[in-house]
Amino acid sequence: MFVQNIFKDVRYYQILFQSIFLSYGIIFLHWQNEGWLYGTYFITSIVTQLLCEIIFAKNKNYFLDSFKKSIPSVIISSFGLSLLLKTNLLWVAIFAAFVSIISKYIIRINGKHIFNPSALGIVATILLTGKAWVNAGQWGSGIVLLFTVFCLGFIVVTKVQNITISLTFLGVFVGLLFMRQIIYLGWPIDYFVQSISTGSLLLFSFFMITDPKTTPNHTVSKIIWCIAIAFVAFYLATFKFINAAPIFVLVFAQPLVPLLDKLFKTKSYQWHNKIEHKIISNFTINKLSINNSFN
Amino acid sequence: MKKKLFIIATAIAISPILFSFCGFYVSKADGTLKNKTSQVILVRDGNKTVLTMYNDFKGDTKDFAMVVPVPVVLGKDDIKVVDQSIFQRLNDYSAPRLVEYWDQNPCDQYTVNESSISMAKADIVSQRGNANKRVKDKDLGVKVEAKYLIGEYDILILSAKESGGLKEWLTSNGYKIPEAAEEVLDPYIKSNLKFFVVKVNEKEKNKLNNNFLRPIQINFNSPKFMLPIRLGMANADGDQDLIVYAFSRKGRIECTNYRNVNIATDKNIPLFVQKNFNSFYSNLFTKQWDNEDKSVAFLEYAWDVSPQNFYHCDPCIATAPSQQDLVQSGVWWLGGKDWSDYSDINNDEPDNGSKNVHFTRLHFRYNRKSFAQDLSFQVTPNTETFQARYVITHPATGNFDCTAGKKYLQDLKLRRKKELNELTILTGTNINNWQEAAAQNDEASTTETQYANLLPQIKEEEQKEKNIPAGFIVFGIAILASVSIIKWKGVI
Repeated sequence: MFVQNIFKDVRYYQILFQSIFLSYGIIFLHWQNEGWLYGTYFITSIVTQLLCEIIFAKNKNYFLDSFKKSIPSVIISSFGLSLLLKTNLLWVAIFAAFVSIISKYIIRINGKHIFNPSALGIVATILLTGKAWVNAGQWGSGIVLLFTVFCLGFIVVTKVQNITISLTFLGVFVGLLFMRQIIYLGWPIDYFVQSISTGSLLLFSFFMITDPKTTPNHTVSKIIWCIAIAFVAFYLATFKFINAAPIFVLVFAQPLVPLLDKLFKTKSYQWHNKIEHKIISNFTINKLSINNSFN
Repeated sequence: MKKKLFIIATAIAISPILFSFCGFYVSKADGTLKNKTSQVILVRDGNKTVLTMYNDFKGDTKDFAMVVPVPVVLGKDDIKVVDQSIFQRLNDYSAPRLVEYWDQNPCDQYTVNESSISMAKADIVSQRGNANKRVKDKDLGVKVEAKYLIGEYDILILSAKESGGLKEWLTSNGYKIPEAAEEVLDPYIKSNLKFFVVKVNEKEKNKLNNNFLRPIQINFNSPKFMLPIRLGMANADGDQDLIVYAFSRKGRIECTNYRNVNIATDKNIPLFVQKNFNSFYSNLFTKQWDNEDKSVAFLEYAWDVSPQNFYHCDPCIATAPSQQDLVQSGVWWLGGKDWSDYSDINNDEPDNGSKNVHFTRLHFRYNRKSFAQDLSFQVTPNTETFQARYVITHPATGNFDCTAGKKYLQDLKLRRKKELNELTILTGTNINNWQEAAAQNDEASTTETQYANLLPQIKEEEQKEKNIPAGFIVFGIAILASVSIIKWKGVI
């Protein structure tokens, strides 16, 4: 009952899972030396968010409230950066976190931000500074990790009911890889398993592309959008040997979202929509169970 | 207390280096040619790659043949043979190193410290032989794209339509193909790779006054940045070592489909390891390789070795590769200098990035089970330096009657215990195994501080310690994370 109330906002699940991944990296994959990097991402993100709230707040008296509300999102994008983007320069790390957050405020269409903050932060930093990089190999390729991340991610998307996006993208991308590597080229199965059991791909599928704020609203446009991203990412990764292709494709595909939203009209996503409904039902259930226990 | 350091160091010969890398040997007889350790130089900038393969073939050279998948048909100018010694120089320079320090007797202010240099060199032996093979062409879907005689090598570039045809072609031309190689031939052919086939030309070989096969260097343009190790696994049983000396203009070169792990470094180890440094490092490597689940790329050295940068290591264990060495290794962006013209020697060129050279040494130990894919790489902007460095410290000698001297002895005892523990942790060897070495090679200040006398104490302490299972840590962190979220949720 307690836990149910705590996790009424799905973003807390995301934070929990991302923190587990980061802990796994720090403990088992020796990312200890990168503590300063994670710290920089988090601190810069939070400070930037606070400044943005002050500068862009509609009602100056309530900026603190809206800042508090936005904290989970800031944490999520900081985790996104920590888990994917590497650099050994302080200013580059600050730049990445700054770009991630500020993009939410200055690049907007119809009151909705265009880019997933951490994806944009990663791409902009790599392209503009040339001093940062992504390494898909940093996870190792333990099949156990694949399984764990998959399950955990599954829960997250189930909760947000955004499973369509993750599964469509993964299904198409992994399917294409399978057809190319196993059916066409004829590699043994473990070759293929290694290609897909990278933490980066799964993090992308479950935590980045699923961001409801930056995906099309309508289910049909969502599916079209995901399939397109999967195809382009597969092409770039397989034939152009581009590392971290999905993240790049996602960023370049996001400006299409407002267009798709115009073509397929529906209500836009609110973090608390479904959740409020859930809380009411939870509350009723809890009340009932309390009553029962008293009886 | 430590007054002066000095170095020194040991270039390491991890094991006798044999060529095996990306090709497979094909033998006419039912030869049992095995390859265990190979070395390659990999130079990359933009889409251009220069690959140099060390050739330490042992056996009759008429049995030597090598097949390397390459992304494009190479022109004659894209292939050359280079000086073998370049590998020795790169290996000596980037190998894991042992550093020596000397303690100063705190009761004696004016001790002069000595330094010395010791090097353990790799024993690399090559054998002579000759070969002459006739190549017949057949219509098996195999096309000889090009045929060259370069140095002592006959080189063919083949393209094939299907693995069966290629296999038959090779067999009918006198090559014996390991069965396991077939598994990878098909994917390579379908990926549109060409096959670079090398044999020794007996006539040319005999003209040369040397008894080894020189390294072959090839260069090509392709966005693909990889090393095809799968073919090399075909006739090798067990684990193979591969050392990659990689050069780029921007920064470190990383493996993108295997985890990059820094080998343990900056560790204080007991003095007696000096005598067994090679086996120490070999044990350390094996232990860490096991611990990291084997499918990893170990970083052993990374430094900016640009000719304009004079500080290449700390300590340096061999002369830094010269500009000529680098150019010979394939670092083409340093080329073009006229070595008889020194007029530009004092002109400080602006650092526009064009003359930078970053040296990365990666060490792989692969087998079929742990390495399902060929190695893919990327050039990163990571310019952080790294070297595998182990420290031994000679204790002070003399009279320790002063107060500082007594304290020194106490500290020494603690330090030496730590060193022994470190040794056990690093190599995974049972502490009992060191008893003999510790007794033989020690120069302790007093009997009390002798390694041999400290060993029993450590064994006792060891028994008291209990390991905390790693699983508990993860579980604990997960709980902590949940609790903090819950708490923090309450605040908001």
